[in-house]
Parts: sequence; C-alpha cells; structure tokens
Amino acid sequence: MSVDWPTTELDPVRRLRVMAAGLNAVMYADAHLDIPFADVWAVASDLEGELPHLVPTLRAFVTSPASGTRQHAWAYGPFGHRARFDVVLQPGWCLMQSRYVVGGMAAVPEGCGTRFAVLGGLRQTWPAQTLTALRPLGHTRGRRMIGRARQRATARRTP
Amino acid sequence: MNKANTGFLRPRLGARQPAEEDPWAKAALLVRAAQSGDALALNDLLDLLTPYVSRLCRPIALAESPDAVQEALIAVFQGLPRLKDPRALYAWVRTITVREAVRVARRAEHETPVGEFDDVPSSHSAEVAADVRDVLRRMSAEHRAVLVLRELEGLDERSAGQLLNISCGTVKSRLHRARHSFRKAWAR
Repeated sequence: MSVDWPTTELDPVRRLRVMAAGLNAVMYADAHLDIPFADVWAVASDLEGELPHLVPTLRAFVTSPASGTRQHAWAYGPFGHRARFDVVLQPGWCLMQSRYVVGGMAAVPEGCGTRFAVLGGLRQTWPAQTLTALRPLGHTRGRRMIGRARQRATARRTP
Repeated sequence: MNKANTGFLRPRLGARQPAEEDPWAKAALLVRAAQSGDALALNDLLDLLTPYVSRLCRPIALAESPDAVQEALIAVFQGLPRLKDPRALYAWVRTITVREAVRVARRAEHETPVGEFDDVPSSHSAEVAADVRDVLRRMSAEHRAVLVLRELEGLDERSAGQLLNISCGTVKSRLHRARHSFRKAWAR
C-alpha cells in the first residue's frame, strides 16, 4: 500500500477529551455555544482579563511570556495564596499546570457556533474512589464554567 | 512530579535534533515524565503520537477515522501508567490503535452495511488513491487491518496474527482475499 494516506489530526476538543482521560481529570465538560469561534476564543485566551471571571476561586492571573506558545503565570487566590503555572496557549487550545492542579480549555468551530470544552484535574495521585466521587461535582463545575464563558463572550459582543 | 527532570526533557523535544535520532526514544523520555503526572509532557506526547495513530487508523476506520484516533489515544493514555518499559511504546501503541480502529470500524459497519467484493464497480478514474479507498471501503475492518499491518507496517504474518488475536492461517486467507479484491478491481 504505497498511497500516502492523509493523516487525521485531532481537533482541539477531541484532544482535550484525550487529555482528560490520560490525566484522570475530575472535571471535564463540553458544550455547543451559539457564538462564533473567534468570540469564544477571545474570552478563553484572555487569561489575565477573563480567567478570574471563569474560575470563581481565582482572584487574579498574571502571565509573562516565555518561549513560543509557552508562558509562565502566577495565579492568586481570594485569600492571598498564589501558585505558579506553566501555560501552553495557541488558537483553540490552552493547557495550564501548577505543582498541584491542571486546567485546560479547547474550542473548535461547529456549524455557526463553537464547541467549547474545559478540563480540571489534580496532579497528585488520589484514590480512584475519591476521583470517582468528585467527578459528578467536577462535571457540574465544568458546565458552570462553560456557562460563564458564554456570558462573558456574549457581553463582549454587545456594544 | 520531578520538575528538574521534566524541565530537562521538554526543551530537548522542541530543539533541532540530528536526523538519525529515533523519535520513539524521545517519546520514551516523555512517557516517564507523563507517568509522573506532568500534563505538559502528556501534551508533547500527544503531539508526537497523533500523526502515527492517524496514519494507522485512516485506512482501517476510513470515514470513522477521527473517532478511531480519539478512542485509540484515550486507550493509550489510560493505559500509560501501566506501561512498564517505555521503549515498548511503539509496538504497544500500534497494537492498541489497530484494535481500536477495527472496533470503531466494525461498530460503524453494523450501522451502515457495506457491499460485497463482487459489487466493486468498474473504476476508470485516474485517481489511484480514490480507487484504493473505494476498494478498501468494501472490505471488512478485519481485512483492512491485516493489510495495514502487512503492507504499511511491514509485520510478518505471525506478528500480525498475534496482534489481531487470529491464527497465521486466518491472516494468510484474509491477506489473499484482500489482495485478490485489489487485483480484481484493477483488472476491470
């Protein structure tokens, strides 16, 4: 079979599903938003301006460019504690990790709108039963985060 | 996570490497980091594995290839913590991917029955690739998997049989039938 077969790359949302499985993530959710991709990703990729609106436990998120698609960031909690994050950010794809947690967002055009996905996980090894118990809560939190992203994107579109 | 260790690994992946360096050796380093919980190493590993997994899935799963690629990579990543020898990654990924591609393709075939070999239409198109896809589409996923393993991956019949959990004789008969259907299609 000497034909050069076209390869099928994973789109960013499928890619985040794979990452969620690999990381045994406690939070994963995706949903269709009736908002163009550019508007959704304008919110998701504005980490300093929008991430604290999407994640209630975050007071501020301060980034500093590193190399290429990689960045460093400091996340500040409501009680003054902070954590350093390594960030990969490119169109439709964002992955962040600190010493203790992992977060991710992905988006891909879908019809006239966008499929938007979010991921959250713990880096330390936890008992499987604990992760299983946390997952329904994580799914609910993921849906809420997507809802907040929808609100923010809609607000930014409204003049 | 061992930060010093993964910090050592990631720049090497992006750096220009000698052409003869085995990409699977780099993957083995990423596997170690990913197994220790480094999400960015897992991200780099996904970059490395996706083209290979896609190349295997496409001729087996055809139109279902995006689903097959996703399912295969999920199976690979879920099994990653149990992979004891990262140097075995290549063969391990191939085994999982081919089985997942066959499973996804069979699931789709149950939903959309394909024609028999005798129904292969005459093809006078100059587009050889399109003809190949047309012939493949009329084969079962199992026949396509045998072809991929023998002709694309270069496995011998014994290894292909072990991977697909079938006998050497079954591999030979499927291969014979697959090749026959190609000859028949081209002879028209």
